[in-house]
Amino acid sequence: MSKFLASLVAATMLVPASARAEGTIEVLHHWVSQSEVNALNVIRKDLETKGFQWKDSAVGGMSGANAQQALRSRLTSGDPPGAMQFLGWEGPQWAEQGVVRDLNDLAKAGGWREALPPQLLTFVTSGDAFIAAPINMHRQNWVWANKKIFDEAGIAVPKTWADLIAAGKRLKEKGITPVAMGDEPWQIGIIFDALLSDLYGPEFYKKVAIDLDPAALNSPEMVKLFDTLREVRGLVDDNFVGRDWAVATGLVINGEAAMQFMGDWAKGEFLAKGLKPNADFYCFATPAKVPTFQYVIDSFGMFTVKDETVQNAQVALAETIMDPAVQKGFNLIKGSIPARTDVSVDDFDDCAKLGFNERAEAIKAGSMLGAMTHGFAAKPEFASVFGDVAAQFFVGNMASQDAVKMLVEGIDNAR
Amino acid sequence: MNAAKSFSSRLAGWLPRIVVAPSLLVVIVTVYLFILWTGVISFTSSKFVPVYDFVGLEQFVRLWATPRWHTAVANLFIFSALFLFLSTGIGLLMAILLDQNIRAEGFLRAVYLYPMALSFIVTGTAWKWIMNPGLGIQKVVNELGWTGFTFDWITDPNMAIYTVVIAGVWQSSGFAMAIFLAGLRGIDNSVIKAAQIEGAGLPLIYRQIIIPMLRPAMLSVIVLLSYIAIKSFDLVLALTNAGPGSATELPSTFMFSATFRRNQMGVGAASAVMMLMTVAAIIVPYLYSELRERNNG
Amino acid sequence: MANALAQHKPIDEALPWKTRMRFGRLLIYGPLCVMAALYLMPLWVMVVTSLKPLDEIYGGSFIGLPQTITLDAWRAAWSEACIGTECTGLKPYFANSLLMVIPAVVLSTGIGAINGYILTKWRFPGANLVFGLLLFGCFLPYQAILIPMARTLGLLGLAGSIPGLVFVHVAYGICFTTLFFRNFFVSLPDELTKAAMVDGAGFFRIFWSVILPTSIPIVVVSCIWQFTQIWNDFLFGVSFTSGGNSPMTVALNNIVNVTTGRKQYNVDMAAAMIAAIPTLLVYIVAGRYFVRGLTAGAVKG
Repeated sequence: MSKFLASLVAATMLVPASARAEGTIEVLHHWVSQSEVNALNVIRKDLETKGFQWKDSAVGGMSGANAQQALRSRLTSGDPPGAMQFLGWEGPQWAEQGVVRDLNDLAKAGGWREALPPQLLTFVTSGDAFIAAPINMHRQNWVWANKKIFDEAGIAVPKTWADLIAAGKRLKEKGITPVAMGDEPWQIGIIFDALLSDLYGPEFYKKVAIDLDPAALNSPEMVKLFDTLREVRGLVDDNFVGRDWAVATGLVINGEAAMQFMGDWAKGEFLAKGLKPNADFYCFATPAKVPTFQYVIDSFGMFTVKDETVQNAQVALAETIMDPAVQKGFNLIKGSIPARTDVSVDDFDDCAKLGFNERAEAIKAGSMLGAMTHGFAAKPEFASVFGDVAAQFFVGNMASQDAVKMLVEGIDNAR
Repeated sequence: MNAAKSFSSRLAGWLPRIVVAPSLLVVIVTVYLFILWTGVISFTSSKFVPVYDFVGLEQFVRLWATPRWHTAVANLFIFSALFLFLSTGIGLLMAILLDQNIRAEGFLRAVYLYPMALSFIVTGTAWKWIMNPGLGIQKVVNELGWTGFTFDWITDPNMAIYTVVIAGVWQSSGFAMAIFLAGLRGIDNSVIKAAQIEGAGLPLIYRQIIIPMLRPAMLSVIVLLSYIAIKSFDLVLALTNAGPGSATELPSTFMFSATFRRNQMGVGAASAVMMLMTVAAIIVPYLYSELRERNNG
Repeated sequence: MANALAQHKPIDEALPWKTRMRFGRLLIYGPLCVMAALYLMPLWVMVVTSLKPLDEIYGGSFIGLPQTITLDAWRAAWSEACIGTECTGLKPYFANSLLMVIPAVVLSTGIGAINGYILTKWRFPGANLVFGLLLFGCFLPYQAILIPMARTLGLLGLAGSIPGLVFVHVAYGICFTTLFFRNFFVSLPDELTKAAMVDGAGFFRIFWSVILPTSIPIVVVSCIWQFTQIWNDFLFGVSFTSGGNSPMTVALNNIVNVTTGRKQYNVDMAAAMIAAIPTLLVYIVAGRYFVRGLTAGAVKG
């Protein structure tokens, strides 16, 4: 029995290793939905034309947390994958541990530094060296609105949060749910982040979300921010607990709700139904005096491995990811815009074009900010405190003063 | 014991120890060594990866200053107490009923036992849907006419932990039932008959004779259900993801998110140490009393 | 119930002592049937949903019978669903799970049997301490050991492989199987082993020919318990394997965690059912032996 078993086991282990001559690279990521997978296949097919094999290790769930955990075990056991999809500070953190491969030669040859927004570099470099290749840039602070509802109620695209809330109240009186969302902490976090940068400007956001300045955290402005958050809560229907974000988008599409605060991955839901931007739905940035661009990027980092064929495959993968044509193809399907600023978006839809232009302005105006809820501002131990407090405040009855107190204590506890 | 010693040669005397040694070695490494490692980490400043310095009790102080931990501990007591009480009670009741020469006993037994066969991912997904106010039970009952009916516990931060209890009891009370049923089957009829001859009514027989004789079974049930309660990690994640907010956080989910999601490995290790100490405080005296008796008996 | 059963008949020696009153029967069957309905409801929901086309799920009630029955969701879950960029359905991962579970169950049961045998029939000084040490391991929270175990597997060269996963499950299964067998063997009279020893049988001979044949019920209990625990495990699977080596729980997790587009509830439920079929079969077919095995001795403290 043992011989049979051994050969069975050996057979299973041989199957994935039936690689091509050039090299196979195992990629660990958390994209499991159809559209995400279709976008990923753009990269995969291009890699295969270079003669390399892509071995897929998808671990979905928990917005990438399961994949991060799987990666951690892999690294601890000394068996890293060839490449990993990095979120937030992961890339630089692993680079500090010395397990990530230096891509600087490739970067210099490919002119990466010039082609990427400078704010992005924090997350794809460690010190001065490139350690990850970013494929896309999502924007978190979008508002998606049902055009018919807006037009019928005589609402124009709001220029301030006060306008937005007032419009919401009008809609509520008409019996339409103003804001559709779910209760997951990250969905609430999207609104929190937007308020943080829109109400008092990008500098306040930087002081709170990046510097964790105690005075800014404990300020009357923070209390007013929570007050505003409470007003937004009043615009959401009571059935929002447990609701999936895509289901909330569906409510806006159907006309059961007017708006949703969501990143640009919601756009795919509209486009899949054949709806056109500005003709059937509105996409606009959360209202602010200085419009901000809160970015979320996906980048692929390569781990140090001994196998030379894998190393070659890593180089090929990095080149593929930074290839302007691949960036275009990937992002057309994924709904984001290319990480590279030098890729034209003429073929993209109007919302993407708007985002592209607003990004260029935000870079100049200094309002290009990493989205905290997705890990691109404060480090995880602090970002999670913001998430906890905002979520608890939103679903419960806490007073704004208490929320600020809880926030300050939580941040201090995590220092 | 004397028979073994006086009987075998030296090699045979050592053979049992040699054979059990690998198991012991594996357990010492995979259980005790790892516990020790966790303990060590709880005294370090580890955040993203293990760091081997020494910061005293700092992580424990941090742990107890975290409101989510207090929620988790409170939830553990609520959940464990209700889970144990309800699973044991329902399991006992069903076992007693099933023991009454029921016609479809095999079928019913399978019906009560099958939830144990399902993984928590499966259970959590199904129950999440059933208890969702907009999609599940509340909607069905409302559509049937009782429009005032609400069952939105899963969305209420104060009541959400009880939905975890419901799903957990559903999953595990069949197992308690199986153990009690086995215990009931093992009870000697003659004692019962003697009591009935003396004129005792059935409820009295159950209360004074049968249930006390189920004590060994009760202990097994409590031990195994406690094990399941401590492990209720998958269930919470699949059902509520520790939400709404952090209303259904349990120490196991807290430890997991601290270590793997929040870059607070030291705090996670401290919480694991607290969990282990609690478990040890309950299990070690129990084990000691059990095994000491066996030595004397 | 109390009132009805109190009206007991005088004892008839031919009847079992459990009385048979009509009204009493109703009060017994009633609660049992209600409970059965409650227990079956989630299963009903899962099966019914997996047979419906997606539009019907979104349009209708979650508990109603399907208007059109389709097996598309089952086919998709088994062979077409995309787990990341590989659209192979659950089939290959199912095979992985089988390859992992069967050795793990056999090994952990076998080791538990030998351990139980030793700890009860060959008591050496410290045997109870050994048992206590083994038993405490049952109560370890698994999240705490993921990192050191990953390290250990790496050192052993078993990282990311199915044999590595088997090792992990055996290591943490030993405590339970030893408990089951030890409690069972404790009630086996020592005379059996003594008689065999007098006949000249050695350590292993006694185990093979005397102890093992009598322990079939507890072997069944141990196998059922271990099979269920290991088959349904997700944490170890996601931490210690990846990609094509993963067990089916990891693939199932990927399927049910799709976040964009309309959630395909029917495929999710079909996939969950496929994942549950082996354990369900085990419990339905062998459930009777489970109870019998528990009666035979696992229950005595």
